[in-house]
Amino acid sequence: MSQIQARFFTEDKRYVVDDVPFSIPAASEVQDLSNVINKLLEAKNGNKVDFDFLVRGQFLRTSLSTHMATEGISTVWILTGSYDKTARIWSTEGKPAMTVAGHTDVVKDVAWVKREGLTSLLLTASLDQTVLLWEWNSERNKVKARHCCRGHAGSVDTISVDPTGTKFCSGSWDKMLKIWSAVPTDEQDEIEEPADRPRKKQKTQQLGLTRTPLMTLSGHSEAVSSVLWCDSEEVCSASWDHTIRIWDVDTGGMKTTLTGSKVFNCISYSPLCRRLASGSTDRHIRLWDPRTKDGSLVLLSLTSHTGWVTAVKWAPSHAHQLVSGSLDNLVKLWDTRSCKAPLYDLAAHEDKVFCVDWTESGLMLSGGADNKLYTYRYSAQQAEA
Amino acid sequence: MERALQQIFNFNRKPADEDKDDDLSDSEDSVYSGLEDSGSDSEEEEGSDDDEEEGSDDNDDKMKEKKEGEVSEEKKKHEYEHDSSDEEDIRNTVGNIPMEWYKDFPHIGYNLDGKKIYKPIRNKDELDDFLDKMENPEYWRTVHDKQTGSDVVLSDDQVELVNRLQRGQFGDVNFNECEPMVEFFSSDVMIHPVTNRPADKRSFIPSLTEKEKVSKLVHAIKMGWIKPRRVEDDGRGRYYNLWASEDSSILARHKMHLPAPKIPLPGHHESYNPPPEYLFTDEERALWEQQDPADRKLPFVPRKYSSLRQVPAFSQFIHERFERCLDLYLCPRQRKMRVNVNPEDLIPQLPKPKDLQPFPTTRSLVYRGHSGLVRSISVSPSGQWLASGSDDGSVRFWEVCSSRCMKTVQVGGAVKSVAWNPNPSVCLLAVALDSVVLILSPSLADKQVILSSERLLSAQQEGEEPAEGNGSVVWSEAEGEELNQGLRLKIQHPKAVHQVVWHAKGDYLASVMPDNTSHLQVYIHQLSRRRSQNPFSRNKGLVQCISFHPIRPYFFVATQRSIRIYNLVKQEMTKKLQTNSKWISSMAVHPGGDHVICGSYDCKLSWFDLDLSTKPYKMLRHHKKAVRGVAYHRLYPLFASASDDGSVIVCHGTVYNDLLQNPLIVPVKVLRGHVMTHDLGVLDVTFHPTQPWVFSSGADATICLFT
Repeated sequence: MSQIQARFFTEDKRYVVDDVPFSIPAASEVQDLSNVINKLLEAKNGNKVDFDFLVRGQFLRTSLSTHMATEGISTVWILTGSYDKTARIWSTEGKPAMTVAGHTDVVKDVAWVKREGLTSLLLTASLDQTVLLWEWNSERNKVKARHCCRGHAGSVDTISVDPTGTKFCSGSWDKMLKIWSAVPTDEQDEIEEPADRPRKKQKTQQLGLTRTPLMTLSGHSEAVSSVLWCDSEEVCSASWDHTIRIWDVDTGGMKTTLTGSKVFNCISYSPLCRRLASGSTDRHIRLWDPRTKDGSLVLLSLTSHTGWVTAVKWAPSHAHQLVSGSLDNLVKLWDTRSCKAPLYDLAAHEDKVFCVDWTESGLMLSGGADNKLYTYRYSAQQAEA
Repeated sequence: MERALQQIFNFNRKPADEDKDDDLSDSEDSVYSGLEDSGSDSEEEEGSDDDEEEGSDDNDDKMKEKKEGEVSEEKKKHEYEHDSSDEEDIRNTVGNIPMEWYKDFPHIGYNLDGKKIYKPIRNKDELDDFLDKMENPEYWRTVHDKQTGSDVVLSDDQVELVNRLQRGQFGDVNFNECEPMVEFFSSDVMIHPVTNRPADKRSFIPSLTEKEKVSKLVHAIKMGWIKPRRVEDDGRGRYYNLWASEDSSILARHKMHLPAPKIPLPGHHESYNPPPEYLFTDEERALWEQQDPADRKLPFVPRKYSSLRQVPAFSQFIHERFERCLDLYLCPRQRKMRVNVNPEDLIPQLPKPKDLQPFPTTRSLVYRGHSGLVRSISVSPSGQWLASGSDDGSVRFWEVCSSRCMKTVQVGGAVKSVAWNPNPSVCLLAVALDSVVLILSPSLADKQVILSSERLLSAQQEGEEPAEGNGSVVWSEAEGEELNQGLRLKIQHPKAVHQVVWHAKGDYLASVMPDNTSHLQVYIHQLSRRRSQNPFSRNKGLVQCISFHPIRPYFFVATQRSIRIYNLVKQEMTKKLQTNSKWISSMAVHPGGDHVICGSYDCKLSWFDLDLSTKPYKMLRHHKKAVRGVAYHRLYPLFASASDDGSVIVCHGTVYNDLLQNPLIVPVKVLRGHVMTHDLGVLDVTFHPTQPWVFSSGADATICLFT
């Protein structure tokens, strides 16, 4: 969070600036902001004025970032997909900002393509076999479906955006992985299928422009449950066929197979410690080294859950921490250096936990079958609905 | 004396020395023995000499006196050493010869001067002797001296001496044999030692000669010259087996003798005046009379008499004795050799369940939502969806991995059976309730699949009404609201339908209407042509469940006690399996088609190997209550049985392609998760098509997934 979008308002007619968002460094203090305004007003009136700034009715006295942290103002948005066929965007305080509705079936996975700036790009994958690429204008709070990615023949269970934000990969129940372009364009990809009657009808109802996959990676013998990008060339996928496979996106070939003994529910990769964490249909979280060629070596098992581990996620800024969610209603924070017991049990959910995530600022998120999204702050152990 | 000893020893030694000189080389034994003798001799000689010399030197006065006395005696003795005949009567010099030799001579010998000693003139005859004996008071002490031929009259002293000797006393009167003994060496430590001689040097130096001797012995033993004494063996027949000639069979018979069983002692029943509780009540008496004589507990009715006098004679006496004799005569009595076998050795070696993984072990998910008991469950061929039919009149569709209910279809009646079409290219569900079989299109699949299933349903030939089944089966299409719910077809049956199953290709489905009185129990429907037919023209018993063979055109029909296998192409029965159970509840066919398991209400699970026999290959009696459902896994070698006791038992059943190897059946896990409701536990069980997971539906309105 280096840059912050800001607008400046004043009731004094002399100092009015254009009502457009400006991108300013988060570390800037009152003097820096004054300089910005003065720079903007330079043309209008030459003399320099020292401004004071009110942020949500509070005077700004420290740097913007610390002020936001202390006042709990955030620009981080949380995206959730739900079995009610919609995706929602939330602020970290738990205020719903937007409901993204458009799928005809359950939303299985969501992902941000781009969060900076006023227009964000987001993806939703659904049981209706499509992935929708949305454009969300946070300023006007408008959401628009830009592309409808068709090609899967089963429910799309997982999507992942590559580190550059130009491509994304989707995994589906039809055992396929597909790589798509994540860049919105105004042109529709050609569909080679012969247009028969019901197709036409669907097309008219369809949201956004149709997009076809850049590449299809096939090799799994069962449904793909989780997919992620190790780096911009490598895709890692976990499947119900008890394997984790690593694919080369450039060539479309498979590089490595890690074989487990149980169905994989989820995987997570940490570039800091270069480990894969996997959750299976048993009680264990397993850590793998994706670079080993011979495959099936589990580095470490973390066992404390009593149900299936449905979600794991490495901390984005910590090499040893990961958070896991399970069917036993618990979210656990782990440190891989203490593999015997978790650091914290986060018991907030009243039903199965289905997803966990971290924000850049270190907040932990979890969503579950009790229709609630919880955020946890690590140091204070404060949970809010 | 010593000198004499020495002489003897010297005498002994001499020949040995000569021997030694003679053959020194060949006879080592003799050399050895000679050395031994000489060694010991010389030592003893020296010792004795030293002792005497030294002992005489240092002694006190008393001892000296005694010693002197001894010495003087010794000297006297030495004077008469060669004269040992001093006490002899030397008046006659003939010596100690029988005097008879001089019987015919007038003399009896010669005196010292060489003059003849003449016999005294014997004028005494027997008479004189007798008179002498009578009259002479000295006669008893007169002794005839044969050598002189004269009579000697013994003096009083002499007589006394004779008497003393005769009594075994010492001749000397003054000798006191009971004189107290003065112990020379005693245990008392005296102030003055008996000898004050310092200890010999040799007493504390190991004897060299002994050492030499021992080493010679050792050498001789080593060389084999000396052999240890041979032990005489007793094999010459000092002892012998007394019973050797005895016939062993007789002995064995004696050993194995079993006494005849004793007649039980009479109890209170037999008493003439038994306690009242032993007397029969009317009911007992009636029962006794009804019973067969062989089944009766007592051979008589206990009776009560006021006194012993009134007891009649036992009418059964002869009969009873006869029975007893018959028993003794006819019942063979012999000792049975009990084989001492560890019971654990008899248990076959089964692999450990740990080695047979994967199999479901824990309850992972519970699918809640039904409000009535869930009779039947079915998993879609992709493994993504689970359909369940319940008594609350609804069919629910669940997402397997999240246990979310995706869809609920109200069908308006207790659902008896649901079955997902096994063909992955169509997505249809058959539901049996009351007397209707419904075909649902749950549209939980790819659009192509939904389309193809819709196409299959609509591809009927108009005007070809089913002539068979007397028109009792009516096909009709769903309309209006039902269409939105996913209902597509209704197949109306004449009677209540209990089960519906699909053929593996997905075009045919069969339904069961259990009815004992009619041959209309099974219908086979063809979906694409909307035709129904009853394959059986005769009633073979109450049909419980049916199944299609997964590969070949066979059809399994389970009646109460047996399973019949029909060939659908030839239209004939090929096999009849005898289950040995009282009432079959469920049946499942192995995906290979050669094995069948069948559960029954009498808690049994039978495994049939169709290639092996028509009898069960194995009976498993693990359940406590009726078995309600059985299932095979499509890929893994697993099968499961669900029972009213609330448990699902998962067994490992490996089937080999080799005909010689029988299936290996190992029970691996008991899964519990359902709550007993109305005495019902688990009602249906089914496996996930691709994972080693098992679903079970229970009377507690839940469905459990065990992984």
